[in-house]
Amino acid sequence: MKSLATAASAPSATPAERGVPLSAGIRKYVHRHFDLVVGAATLIAFFLAWQFARPLGIPGLSAVEPPTKVVAASWDLLSSATFWTACYKSVLRILAGFALAQIIGVPIGLMMATNRMAFHTIFPVTEILRPIPPVAWIPVAIIFWPTREMSTVFIVFLGAFWIVLLNTIGGASTIDESYRRAALSLGSNRWHLFRYIVLPATMPSIVTGMVVGMGISWEMVVAAEMIASDTGLGYLLWQSFEINAGAQVIVCMLAIGIAGFVSSALIGRVGRLLTPWQGRR
Amino acid sequence: MSRGALSFRAVRKVYDPEGKAVLALDGVDLDIAPGEFCAIVGPSGCGKTTLLNAVAGFETLTAGAIQLDGRTIATPDASAAPGEDRIVVFQNGALFPWRSVMWNITCGPVMQGRMSEREAREHGLKLLARVGLKGCEDKYPNDLSGGQKRRVEIVRALINDPAVLLLDEPFRALDALTKSVMQEYLLELLVQFPKTVFFITHDLEEALFLGDKVVVFTSRPGRIKEVVSVDIPKPRSHEVLTSPRFLELKAALSAVVHTEAMRAFEAGEKEMAR
Repeated sequence: MKSLATAASAPSATPAERGVPLSAGIRKYVHRHFDLVVGAATLIAFFLAWQFARPLGIPGLSAVEPPTKVVAASWDLLSSATFWTACYKSVLRILAGFALAQIIGVPIGLMMATNRMAFHTIFPVTEILRPIPPVAWIPVAIIFWPTREMSTVFIVFLGAFWIVLLNTIGGASTIDESYRRAALSLGSNRWHLFRYIVLPATMPSIVTGMVVGMGISWEMVVAAEMIASDTGLGYLLWQSFEINAGAQVIVCMLAIGIAGFVSSALIGRVGRLLTPWQGRR
Repeated sequence: MSRGALSFRAVRKVYDPEGKAVLALDGVDLDIAPGEFCAIVGPSGCGKTTLLNAVAGFETLTAGAIQLDGRTIATPDASAAPGEDRIVVFQNGALFPWRSVMWNITCGPVMQGRMSEREAREHGLKLLARVGLKGCEDKYPNDLSGGQKRRVEIVRALINDPAVLLLDEPFRALDALTKSVMQEYLLELLVQFPKTVFFITHDLEEALFLGDKVVVFTSRPGRIKEVVSVDIPKPRSHEVLTSPRFLELKAALSAVVHTEAMRAFEAGEKEMAR
C-alpha cells in the first residue's frame, strides 16, 4: 500500500514532469466533454460537406447553394425591408392565431372536462373535425373568410386549437380526486373549486398545449402563407424558390427555424411563470 | 370537551360497479366519545376507507346512519355533504402543490369566512412553529419532506377546529423512524388541541400506540370483529412499545388481525380462481 502511494506521487515530485503533455491534455478534455466535442465535430463535418458538395459530387446536397453563398444572401436579405416586413407579418399571424386558440380552446376544454353535458354535446363534433389536417382546410378557409389575412390566421388557429383543447381536457379530467375532496371539506364552493383547484391543477397541461401549439402554429403559418397569402416568411420562401434564388430560400428556412426556436423559448418562459411550483422535488 | 361524539348505527354500504353488487360494510355499530382516539384496523378492502369517506361526507350510505353530536351527517336519504367540522388527512396527502404552505393552511378558515387573511396567517404561523416548521410558510409543499408535508396537512386540518379529525393511514408512506416521530408529534398536538380522532391504519402497533380504542374489522364485508380499550395511560412515549401491557395487548390483537388477514387472502384467491 505504502509503495503504491510513493510510486504514484513520485512523478509529480519532479518539476520537469509536473506539466501534463499536450496530447494527454487533449485526451482528457475530449473525455470530459465528449458530447460537446462530438457535436462540434459533426457540425463542422456537415458544413464542410455542404460547402464542398458540388466539387465532391455529393447527391442532393450539391443542388443546394453552399453556406458561403447563403451567408452572402442573408446579408442582403437581412438589410432589406421586405424581409423584416415578412417577419413582422408572420409573427402577427402567429400571435393572433395562437392567442385565439388559447382564448377559445382553454375554456372549452375546461368546460368539456368538468361538465358531462358539455362534453357529450361538443365531443362528437370535435372528433369528426380533429383528424382533418389543418392544411387541408386552406381552400375552405379562403372561401369562408372574407380576407386572405383572416384565412391565414384561421389556419394557424386551427393548428394550435386541437392541441390546446386536448391538453386542457386531458389535464382537467385527470385531477386527483383527493384535491377536490380536500377543498370541499375545507369549505370550498363551486367557484373556489374552479379557481383554486381545477385551474391550477390543469395549468401544467395547458402549458404543454401552449408549447406544442406554438410549434404547430409556425408550421401552419408557413403552409398557409405559401398558398393563401402575399406576405410573410412562408410567402417570401416560396417566392424565392419561384425566382430561383436558392440561397435566399435557405435564409428564409433558417429564419423560420430561428423564429420557431425563439417563440418556443418564450413560451417556455411564460409556462414557468404560470406554473412556478413545477419542477420541484 | 363536549364536541365530537360520533355514533354509527347499523351502517351498511353496497357498491354497485357494473351491476355486480359488492357489500363493503355491514351492520357497523360503534360509538366514539368526544376526544377519544379511535384506531381502525383491518385487512385491505375491508371498508375502512369507505367508512371514513361516509363520515367525511364523500359517500352516501346504503342503510343506517352516522351521527355527529346528535346531528345526522350520513343517511341513505341525504346526498353526501362534506363539512369543515370533519376534516380528512388523506392517505397520499392532498396539500395543493400549486400554493404555498401558508395558503394551504389558511385557505379553510378564509374560504369559510371565519377568519380574515391576516388573522388566519397569524394563527397559521403559530401552528407551524408548534410543529417545528417555522420559516416554511412561503415554501411550496413539494419543497418539503414527506414528514414535513404530513405535519402541514395536520395543521391545515387543526386550524379549522374540526369536531372530528379523520386520518386515513396518514403515515403509511413514511419511513419507520419518521413515522415514530410523527406519531409522537400527533399525540403531543392532540394534548394541546383535543379532538375526536378517527384513525385508519394497517399497522397494529401504531393503532395500539395512538389509540384509546382499537376497532378490528373483518375482511369484506366489513363488520366489527372486536373493540379493545387500550388501558395504557396517556401521554405515551415510544417506551410504551416495550412495556408488558402493550405487548400483551399486541399479542392478543395480532391473533385476531392475522385470522382476518388470512380470510381476506383466501377470499382473494377464490375470487381469482373463479
